[in-house]
Amino acid sequence: MSLPLVKMSAISKTFGPVIANDDVSLEIHAGEVLALLGENGAGKSTLMKILYGFYRPDGGTIQVDGSVAAFASPRDAMAHGIGMVFQQFSLVTALSVLENLLAALPGAPWLQLRRRPRVAEALRWLHRLAPNLDPQRPVRSLSVGERQLVELAKVLNLDARVIILDEPTSVLTPAETERLYGFIKSLAADGKAVVLITHKLADVAACADRITIMRGGKVVDRATKCDRSSDALVEAMVGVGSLGHLDPPAPMRGNLPILRVRNLAAEVQARTISSISFELAEGEIFGIAGVSGNGQFVLAEALAGLVPVTDGDVVLAGTSIASHSDDGAIAADVAYIPERPLDNAVVPDIDLCLNLALRTARDLAFFPSRRNIEDRASRLISDYDVRPPQSALLAAALSGGNLQKLVVARELSRRPRLVIACYPTMGLDVLASQAVYREIFRHVATGACVVWISEDLDDLMNYAHRIAVIHDGRIVGIVRREEADRQTLGRWMAGYSEESV
Amino acid sequence: MNGADRVRLLAACGGSAAFLIAAAIFLAAIGRPPLMTLGQMALYAFGDSYSLSESLVKATPILLCALAVILPARLGLITVGGEGQLYFGALTGTAIVVSFPNGPMFLLLPAVLLAGAIGGAFWSGAAGFLRARCNVNETISTLLMNYVAVLLVNYVIYGAWKDPASLGWPASIAFPPAATVPSLFGTRVHLGLVVGVIAALILHVGVTYGRWGIALRVLSGNRKVGAMAGFSFVRQTLLVMTIGGSLAGFAGICETSAIQGRLQAGLSVGYGLTGFLVAWLSGQNFLRAVPIAILIGGLIAAGDALQLYSKVPSASATILQGMLFVAALGARGLAGRWSSRYG
Repeated sequence: MSLPLVKMSAISKTFGPVIANDDVSLEIHAGEVLALLGENGAGKSTLMKILYGFYRPDGGTIQVDGSVAAFASPRDAMAHGIGMVFQQFSLVTALSVLENLLAALPGAPWLQLRRRPRVAEALRWLHRLAPNLDPQRPVRSLSVGERQLVELAKVLNLDARVIILDEPTSVLTPAETERLYGFIKSLAADGKAVVLITHKLADVAACADRITIMRGGKVVDRATKCDRSSDALVEAMVGVGSLGHLDPPAPMRGNLPILRVRNLAAEVQARTISSISFELAEGEIFGIAGVSGNGQFVLAEALAGLVPVTDGDVVLAGTSIASHSDDGAIAADVAYIPERPLDNAVVPDIDLCLNLALRTARDLAFFPSRRNIEDRASRLISDYDVRPPQSALLAAALSGGNLQKLVVARELSRRPRLVIACYPTMGLDVLASQAVYREIFRHVATGACVVWISEDLDDLMNYAHRIAVIHDGRIVGIVRREEADRQTLGRWMAGYSEESV
Repeated sequence: MNGADRVRLLAACGGSAAFLIAAAIFLAAIGRPPLMTLGQMALYAFGDSYSLSESLVKATPILLCALAVILPARLGLITVGGEGQLYFGALTGTAIVVSFPNGPMFLLLPAVLLAGAIGGAFWSGAAGFLRARCNVNETISTLLMNYVAVLLVNYVIYGAWKDPASLGWPASIAFPPAATVPSLFGTRVHLGLVVGVIAALILHVGVTYGRWGIALRVLSGNRKVGAMAGFSFVRQTLLVMTIGGSLAGFAGICETSAIQGRLQAGLSVGYGLTGFLVAWLSGQNFLRAVPIAILIGGLIAAGDALQLYSKVPSASATILQGMLFVAALGARGLAGRWSSRYG
């Protein structure tokens, strides 16, 4: 085999008591896609941030083209041709695509002159990646998938030879994901090295040439594309024997409707939903599919009673739970797992104890007992495996997946009659996702109904009793799980309803 | 000793040292012997019982105005309206005196004090209502309402309420003894100080250990999540603004009644703004505001005494006060940065 482009040897890194990387070695070759597979907290991102110069390793060496290199900052790494696309994008949303790309070019002057060669240089990769994207559009108006392509073009503009993608498909729709796989393969065919950090087997199956599996900060297995079954990969990822079997939810108990949503309309920041009507029976899981940004957030907030409805009503077990003022509150028997938990579900600058006590805060004594709050928090943290298990930590210090677990713990540890779950497993690995589903099914078994907003058609078709598709603020169609097929759902997601076909 | 304590100690020492050096340079520059003048100031501020009592007199409205800033700050609101609330409280309290100058003390004094507190609460609550319901920035509205309140007071003392016996001097009638806030121990120190300290204690306990404090922290951290927890931003905003305003209004009517004896211009020498600075100096902590307000009160009192006895202009005390604030806030910022980098 040829000389590796990058060789990381015996890398170790600790954050306080946490060992993030323990004696990790890795080789990255030109012209191939290396998948770095592992659960949340396995140390994949840390390892790649070390390569990108974002962190400095406590021990070990990095060789680029056979000579030892030490990166003090991402700038050094970029000078060696290593670029990284993060989960959170670093684009200026008020500027146009072109302006973002120009500003990121090496040696960008403070005064941007739009000389033609410079513009051509800035746009050369974008034209290949997204020929239909108008570079004059402000980044604000782009979808998440388009933003990711701009971010990728930015990194490629720096003549990167090694491109690291951190969980790139976690924010994409299925169609965008397919397109990204194509780009990744074409980049590798161009002789670039691509490192794909992921916990999804679909990513690995679609485009990885080699696979390195990490667990608990160590490399536990290496494989090439076809010599492992997906079961074997999962087992390597989570550890042998730790993956349980997930029973599908019990069938509905009857047809007694407990939630009635009638002609609902609402608006949040110029996003509207209208004419939403459905009824849910006890123990029913109602999946809502759709391309993100089609009103899912407004629908969830309106159902939860957190934004005022402009028309219609939401009635849970005979009581209206819709809000008609700005100062809306959520009903006690509704569990709500919103999207983007850091913005919508936790207070970042208070500790985990109080964050976990939030939903019951109104019922606390006038002078609440700190010990009771702490005891309850510690119990929830260990039950739901929130890491690190320190209840005094500020919520802002948790990673995305652990924040998600924190919110799930708070919302599902009570006894709700209605569960509103938006992308409840986003950012979670296989084991944690299973645990969340199991929690939801537990409530379903006791008669709660669930509104489950997701983009994952496979999971929806496996676990939801009925599936609705939302497009542009309206429900395009509703279908029972047994009668659902991907083609119809996909057509609905694109906005074609039965009548218009 | 934990990290936060170490930072605080470091900031206190560093800030004091920086202040002393700056003050010495300033005093030398205006031709006064620095060490002696500073020593004199300390004596004029806290040297004997009379100086101490005068310092406490100055500290009283500052403390109350500081509390009126700290409480909204716990909800993430930045108000600079202490001055206006103080003036408006003085105005409404005086309205009672002007209307019923001959009332019996057991009715008149409580009514006057209550009216002052309600006036301040109304003035501050109006800004709170605008913030909660119409999303008007409370810093701007409270700042502008300061001017309105001061000018309203001017309007009545030059007009309707001008005391005919005052020979053209713009002031209301003198407060009758039945409307005069009792002073303590035969000094000019009055009931306001006691109320201020008790209010600081109650607010500290309520906000630190109570459910109320949780509501304030949650709402200031993430208003949306506050709604999920069932806390109402509108209600809490009105609550903290009116409680804060009532304290500042109470300071205004106490100052009018106990110190000035009548409503007149120049009721406050920037107590509202000084209270704001004390609030920030205390790190928005109710209890820490008490000694800091007394310290600043001492500095102001010493400035007055210096002008009287040593012919140093009293403005130099204001300059020294500014130096103290800059030194203290700067030292705390630096200490915080230092500890986050090396601690």
